[in-house]
Amino acid sequence: MTAIEVPPGETRPEPSTALPEPVSEARGVAFAYRRRGLVREVLVSVDLAVRGGELVGLLGTNGSGKTTLLRLLAAAVRPDAGEIRIFGRPAANWSRAELARRVAVLPQQLELPAGFRVSEVVAMGRLPHASRLFSSTDEDDAAVETALLDADALDLAARPVEELSGGERQRVLVAMALAQQPALLLLDEPTVHLDLAHQVALIETVDRLRQSRGIAVVAVLHDLTLASTRVERVAVLDEGRIVADGAPEVVLSRDLVRRVFKVAADEAWTSEGRRLLAPAGTRR
Amino acid sequence: MRAAAVPRPRALVGGPSLTRSGLILGSGVLVLLIVLIVAVAAGSYSVGIGDTTAILGHRLLGIPATVTWSREAETIIFDLRLPRVLTAMLVGGGLAMAGATFQALLRNPLADPYIIGTASGASLGAAIAFMLPLLAPALAIGSATAWIGIGVVQVLAFVGGLGTVLAVYAIARGARGGTVTLLLTGYAVSSVLAAFVALLMHLAGNRLGVIFGWLMGALDGADWGRLAMAAPLVGISLVVLLIRWRRLNVLLLGDAQAAHLGVDVPRERLMLTMVASLATSAVVAISGTIGFVGLVVPHVLRLAIGPDHRLLLPASLLFGAALLAVADLGARLAGGVPVGVVTALIGAPFFLWLLVRSRAVWGAA
Amino acid sequence: MAPLRPRLLSLLLPVLVTLALIAAACGGPVTSTSPSPSGPSPTASAAPFPLSITDDAARSVTLTAKPARIVSLAPSNTEIACALGACAELVGVTDFDDYPASVKDVAKVVLNAKVDIEKVVAAKPDLILAAGNGLTPETVIAQLAGLGYPVLTLYPRTMDGVYADITLVGRALGAPDKAQATIATMQAKVKSVTDAVAGAARPRTFYEVGVFEGTIYTAGKDSFLASLISLAGGEPITGDASSTVIQIEDLVAADPQLIVLGDASYDTTLADPKKAAGTLAKRTGWGAMTAVREGHVLPFLSDILVTRPGPRIVDGLEALAKAIHPDRFGG
Repeated sequence: MTAIEVPPGETRPEPSTALPEPVSEARGVAFAYRRRGLVREVLVSVDLAVRGGELVGLLGTNGSGKTTLLRLLAAAVRPDAGEIRIFGRPAANWSRAELARRVAVLPQQLELPAGFRVSEVVAMGRLPHASRLFSSTDEDDAAVETALLDADALDLAARPVEELSGGERQRVLVAMALAQQPALLLLDEPTVHLDLAHQVALIETVDRLRQSRGIAVVAVLHDLTLASTRVERVAVLDEGRIVADGAPEVVLSRDLVRRVFKVAADEAWTSEGRRLLAPAGTRR
Repeated sequence: MRAAAVPRPRALVGGPSLTRSGLILGSGVLVLLIVLIVAVAAGSYSVGIGDTTAILGHRLLGIPATVTWSREAETIIFDLRLPRVLTAMLVGGGLAMAGATFQALLRNPLADPYIIGTASGASLGAAIAFMLPLLAPALAIGSATAWIGIGVVQVLAFVGGLGTVLAVYAIARGARGGTVTLLLTGYAVSSVLAAFVALLMHLAGNRLGVIFGWLMGALDGADWGRLAMAAPLVGISLVVLLIRWRRLNVLLLGDAQAAHLGVDVPRERLMLTMVASLATSAVVAISGTIGFVGLVVPHVLRLAIGPDHRLLLPASLLFGAALLAVADLGARLAGGVPVGVVTALIGAPFFLWLLVRSRAVWGAA
Repeated sequence: MAPLRPRLLSLLLPVLVTLALIAAACGGPVTSTSPSPSGPSPTASAAPFPLSITDDAARSVTLTAKPARIVSLAPSNTEIACALGACAELVGVTDFDDYPASVKDVAKVVLNAKVDIEKVVAAKPDLILAAGNGLTPETVIAQLAGLGYPVLTLYPRTMDGVYADITLVGRALGAPDKAQATIATMQAKVKSVTDAVAGAARPRTFYEVGVFEGTIYTAGKDSFLASLISLAGGEPITGDASSTVIQIEDLVAADPQLIVLGDASYDTTLADPKKAAGTLAKRTGWGAMTAVREGHVLPFLSDILVTRPGPRIVDGLEALAKAIHPDRFGG
């Protein structure tokens, strides 16, 4: 995979035809939030393509538009300019139901309604596929089971959701997303409320899934260390554009980190030869 | 990856077991049947259970029987009590189901079927109808609608209820705010309409008692004509709501997540609101504004059987119907007390008791 | 279980009855002394039944035979039936019926102003006498008519109206002669009263139906009660055209010379003639009225009579006239 650091103002070359079609692709996408006459431009011109089997870590400072980009890639909102294509088709051509069968979103925070059991909540993820009026098909049941297994939450299946810890809840949410049997999985800062072990476990899980099931995964990450060591590709958003897109050891230069994140970074190498970035201070 | 040593019982994963659902719904049907027989048999004129079932079987199912009962007993059972009890059941079931729907739709535990204006609109319609002979004698067209089996009061109440919901929805959509805006708009519009009702009550003079009685729940005039008007509307609503149980579950996850799961949230919200309001307006039109059933029954059932709408909706229908029929029986035996008073007296303490006994009636994990 | 009857309810009900009767929707003429009742002459050539008559609610009621089981849904209707000799045929009355004394033993089908339809049906009536203007709820009348019972709705708003109703019921009961006789007796009494008070100065008279939380209920303008006060030789002070309520300022402005306490029948604190004026003086604003200052406040214990539009209404008229002009009646 070519690693390119894209200076602002230039566009990225078209991907070669040898690559498979992107699952979700943003082309020259712009987006602004408008409220009562105030306009806040969040994305100016963003190009990003995600393919099956990829795990992309989306990085950027607060307010850089990571969540917005995620929602655009999910075709949950429309861009002000540019276009979004899902499996090559413009997002506008997809019906909501069709989208839900292919794209799953794990929000940053989700309150689970009390009184349900984990398996019932995960089963809600089958809504886009539901075919029978009042019962679930065998495929539905199998999908729920598989989702729980993949998310490492099978032992939680009968538990009431209000009894879950933060990490357990995160796993249940992942399972619910997986129950949709998506081709694209979008995670919005999934590690924010987790302790270290669960953060690592989550990344491992999605990494495993993209490899074994060919799911395309975009995860918004805020932890540079995690991003630099555990994902194969990062995309960095800054001032409304993608300023870096590629393997972290190539793309996440210390210069970029200082420019975008306003921190100095130290680098080190792990025993496996991976480059590790750690914030070192705000002043040099 | 976890080893495959962990057993995976299907029952854990497949959702609520059919036997549990069957048991709950089956007991609901059974309770309803028993309540039907008892409520029709009991009243200020006593008819034995044996005679009651014989009359019902004879007139409803055509079961031949030697007539051991008086003509009056048959009139009372079949022409007076049966339509009344059936009306109470239709109203109770409809209100409970609509209440469950609104509670999910608005994600608000205090939601009842009247929350976005049905009650105030229907009350205004009914009050105008009651006042028509005074306000505009030329418009008192009571006999004109008699051929459909219902009177001006029912028509105006229905129109008032449904019309108000439409107006509230239109206003709230204009403000583009989501559930909170809808709730607040409903509250504001209800207040305005209630003020008009109060004004009419002030002008009512000796008709005040009639209007007030309607507001407290008026099953007195129950007859087959009104049942025939309301039942199909409630039936349509029932079918639509029952089918959409998955979406109601998913809406509990929030608008954003529901949209990600493929739900067209604005359209779904509109459809559910209209359908639930259709049922609510229909039953309010024939029975006045009976409170508490729509609020308490879904909550109590949620505590008892869980929030899954696949079960909650039909259970609300069955047990709401039974509750109101029992409340009406109590109201009749207590000398014709308004049934709304009885539902409040039954509903509130029971609800409080359950609240105290359970950890959470509504909450988030 | 005997229904509880708190004092307020027994106070309110006659007030409601009174209000219902005297509210002027489109009030009839104020006073009437014309002798002939409306309605066709009751001389029947062939058998009087079956017959069709039109009641006060403009409904056509058909009676196939002379009624033998009568249910009355208002005390006035009961009294009319008994005056026409049908007391023995009564099978259902209200719990407020008290005249003649024998009706107290008849089964009660109306309890606390609520009609118990099942009890009505159980009484197997072949004629039901209902009260109009919503006193018997329209839904109840519709339900009973829908079940096939002949329901006659009576709603007299004037003296002539009472005569007409007596005639109507007389036809329904096959007792037209009795009706005529009753009416003649009533008319004679009315004449004797009007003769007795003829020429007397007419005091401004205020009839207090009730005062609740500051709201004053009285006779409505152009109402039956107002017409009775006029016949009895008083100048009635009334509420607005459509209301039985009078504002305190209007009452003070009208300055009654005589206050007749109709609610003394139900409120013992008003029943003592020596203390009545003092009690009223304690009410804010009432002390300024001529009647209160000069002590012309009369407890009136025959409110029942003037609020039941039946045969005894003329007795009520007489009692009223005696209260307004005691000197003309040897008092």
